[in-house]
Amino acid sequence: MITLDRLNRNEAVRYLGGAGISLNYRMDRLMDECEAEILKNARPKYLYSEIDLPNGEFMRGKDIVEHLDGCDRAIIMCATLGAEIDKLIRINQISDMAKAVVLDSFAGVAIEQVCNKVDVMIAEKYKGKYMTFRFSPGYGDYPIELQKLFITKLDAPRKIGLTTNDNSILMPSKSVTAIAGLSDNPIDRKKRGCAVCNMRDRCKFRRNGAHCGF
Amino acid sequence: MDFKKLLSEKEFVLLDGAMGTLIQKSGAEYKSVPETLNITHPELIESFHRAYVEAGTDIVYANTFGANAYKLKESGYSVEEIIGSAVKIAKKACEGTDAYVALDIGPIGQLLEPAGAMTFDEAYEYFKQEILAGKGADVIVFETMTDLYELKAAVLAAKENCDKPIIATMTFERNGRTFTGVLPSAAAVTLTGLGVDAIGVNCSLGPDELEPVISEMSKYTDLPLVIKANAGLPDPNSNEYDILPDRFAQCVCDLLKYGVKIIGGCCGTTPEYIEMIKKSIADKKYTPQQKSVDTTVCSSSTVVEINCPRIIGERINPTGKKLFKQALVDNNIDYILTQALSQVDGGAEILDVNVGHPEIDEKKMMVSVLKAIQSVCDAPLQIDSTKPDVLEAGLRYYNGKPIVNSVNGEEKSLSSVLPLVKKYGASVVGLTLDENGIPKSADGRFEIAKRIVERAEALGIDRRDVYIDCLTLTVSAEQDACRETLGALHRVKTELGCKTCLGVSNISFGLPNRELVTRTFLTMALEEGLDLPIINPNVDSITGAVMAYRVLAGIDKNSSAFIEKYNDVKSEAPKMSGGKDVDIFTAVYSGLKTEGAEAVRKLLKTVDAMEIVNTMLIPALDKVGDDFEKNKIFLPQLIQSANAAQECFEVIKEHISKTSGSPVSKGKIILATVKGDIHDIGKNIVKVLLDNYGYTVVDLGRDVDPQLIVDTAVEQNIKMIGLSALMTTTLKSMEDTIKLIRERKELQNPDGTSKCVVFVGGAVLTKDYAMKIGADYYCKDAKESVDTAKLVFGG
Repeated sequence: MITLDRLNRNEAVRYLGGAGISLNYRMDRLMDECEAEILKNARPKYLYSEIDLPNGEFMRGKDIVEHLDGCDRAIIMCATLGAEIDKLIRINQISDMAKAVVLDSFAGVAIEQVCNKVDVMIAEKYKGKYMTFRFSPGYGDYPIELQKLFITKLDAPRKIGLTTNDNSILMPSKSVTAIAGLSDNPIDRKKRGCAVCNMRDRCKFRRNGAHCGF
Repeated sequence: MDFKKLLSEKEFVLLDGAMGTLIQKSGAEYKSVPETLNITHPELIESFHRAYVEAGTDIVYANTFGANAYKLKESGYSVEEIIGSAVKIAKKACEGTDAYVALDIGPIGQLLEPAGAMTFDEAYEYFKQEILAGKGADVIVFETMTDLYELKAAVLAAKENCDKPIIATMTFERNGRTFTGVLPSAAAVTLTGLGVDAIGVNCSLGPDELEPVISEMSKYTDLPLVIKANAGLPDPNSNEYDILPDRFAQCVCDLLKYGVKIIGGCCGTTPEYIEMIKKSIADKKYTPQQKSVDTTVCSSSTVVEINCPRIIGERINPTGKKLFKQALVDNNIDYILTQALSQVDGGAEILDVNVGHPEIDEKKMMVSVLKAIQSVCDAPLQIDSTKPDVLEAGLRYYNGKPIVNSVNGEEKSLSSVLPLVKKYGASVVGLTLDENGIPKSADGRFEIAKRIVERAEALGIDRRDVYIDCLTLTVSAEQDACRETLGALHRVKTELGCKTCLGVSNISFGLPNRELVTRTFLTMALEEGLDLPIINPNVDSITGAVMAYRVLAGIDKNSSAFIEKYNDVKSEAPKMSGGKDVDIFTAVYSGLKTEGAEAVRKLLKTVDAMEIVNTMLIPALDKVGDDFEKNKIFLPQLIQSANAAQECFEVIKEHISKTSGSPVSKGKIILATVKGDIHDIGKNIVKVLLDNYGYTVVDLGRDVDPQLIVDTAVEQNIKMIGLSALMTTTLKSMEDTIKLIRERKELQNPDGTSKCVVFVGGAVLTKDYAMKIGADYYCKDAKESVDTAKLVFGG
């Protein structure tokens, strides 16, 4: 079980496009309130399982093949904050849109933190192995349509209530699927960054000279 | 199959254990879904069934859990092939025994609206196909369900397409709810109402941990309960479950006292477990539970027991409300949602929903409003219409057990409304009037009430689900009428044993200080036994009267609810401005709603409305927009300012409509998130901003059919359309929508150019791509959408 006890506020501000803006008292309070509500309503759940490589089903496109280069096994994983978070954001879109967008960004931060914790657990379990970073459907040329495969293989609808649909949208929406390679040898970690990101040309962070952290 | 007979003959009915666990242990390989084994390894599946039958199973579940068209899509087999063979295999395994075969149906695998994109009707069709394919089975089982709404679609599909008995079980988490937040009590109430034959729990946890769930369910139903638990938890490394057969059986026996009659196992259980259960229950007796709660209504996440006065909010109703009517005509659902949320804040426990208006399609509106309210609000709803077809549509698409408002003593009403109430398992308000109008005397009304109750009971509706309304008449017109209403109410309560409801505000019509009269009447009615006052919960003194009554009548124990509500009534949130008056510019710039509205109100006494708009509001908004672009403020602040401006505009609109008539709109704009996409927060932000800059937004929502967008543009003569898409997968549908807009003759100028300006936005879009798919403008954020609207409409 994963519990979150606080959320990275700087990240949330950055998601809102507010990096470098000094928050006034009122904004500070709103951030406090939203962080608390996300923490209260999030029900983080995750699943992971090991697959052998190469794996024709999961290795589609050239980016993933490159990403898993040198790995003989991989971990497929998924995580979600649960349906309550979506509802919370939906309600606030009716009653207080400003709060809704802040909640939305904290939820984004929260699912990222959950994934990082899962990473730590996996690393713990595979001590001595080297692991690549998480690579998700939609990164580079890795087809978003693989969501259904991840979901099905992990039995995610039944086990953690995470589903997808024909348009490969994950529901609940604050959810992630990803794959990470395992290897007995050190892996070149430099690959991660704007260069492999499919959002490179339209990224709002880059536009403003910033970086999303990927 | 005679299910009732089976239940009466057997002390307990044994189900089977897991199928998946046996498949896994056998090492059999399959493509896409395990149900394909029915075709590739029929003898293996048959051997599993046989093992369960030999262990003592009375009903085996055919290997059809995931055999729906969505999950089978990539399997290469049809639903009919997989289910047909599964049932045949199971039947063969049962040959020569008394065992029955269940068509086992699990969730579709997609999330239903409102959390997901699959509609209720789509889910219904998936289930219907499975049910028709499973004709050969003896009983229908729905299991591992986590969404009550999906389960309702499933139950209706079964009821409307076959006459087999239905067993429905859901899966709960350790926190006592399902993944989608469904309560065991709400599941019990709703499913019992829908007329299934047995309900319960499967999967989730081990039997040792299911006691809270099963005991909760047992209070809310008199149906036989089902338990099909997991063998505890799997070890993450070995995948072995931690509860062994003997302990499993022991734990199950501990739950028999809650009315458990039908028992099996889920993940991790094997024939050994079933054999052990059979042994353990051999000397046990089935003990039917006593349903211990009073009549209830519910949504999937909130159950309201009508065991004391409960407030029904009356404000979702266009009668006498200009703004509400306009909202209906404009399809402005958000306005109605705001009403819903504010009533719940005010203290409403149930909300009446009436959307009757001659200019709209009431049936369609009822369905969309019910769905929308249920997506943001947990309170159970009361479906209010004079038209049976509207009531039926509402009943069908409601998630939970609603109240129908209403039936009356007229034959036409009784024969059209009551069967609907029965079919969908609702409660109903019975009005004490008939062909001859409202009887003057209490006795006359009592007689009608009696007739309604008798007719309801004849159809199998529990009289406790009939809430009699003895009708409030205006006391200024007929002074004696008040006594008659209260007299009838008293008799209904004491002699018929029914719950009562009453709309109270009517009493004071035509009198000064109406609130005082209404409140006093309400208090009198409560003392006579009124259970469901229908009131405006946002009038403090009226809600307060109910709260106070609960204290005085000893219902609100230790006055805790009362204290919670009123303890801090004096310490209202301090004004953000620290109590100082602020000017309009500051109020808008700092996002101070109340202060902004106040400032406008004051200024309107001396300054012209349009001057305020043009010299103060717009410049303030421009400054905000400018600062946003320069990264001096960020998105939440931009929105707060826009909201403050909105509040100011409301005051101005109100002022203008009082003084000169029609309010000003700068132009009408359609907004929609394209077909297939359900991420709509970006679109909603754009809406807030456009609204606040004085544009009229026709919000078509998310996952919107291109045809609807085009039709709306034609009907309402709209010049500007905004589309959003968040996924690369739904960009195609944005392109299709633009194409359809361009093709429509009515949206073209005589020279063939387009009359409609299309602007698009969304995380994955680029300017180039937007142009490529034929949009006129690409807007990178909400602020740019406003700039574009200014460009298009001028000013």
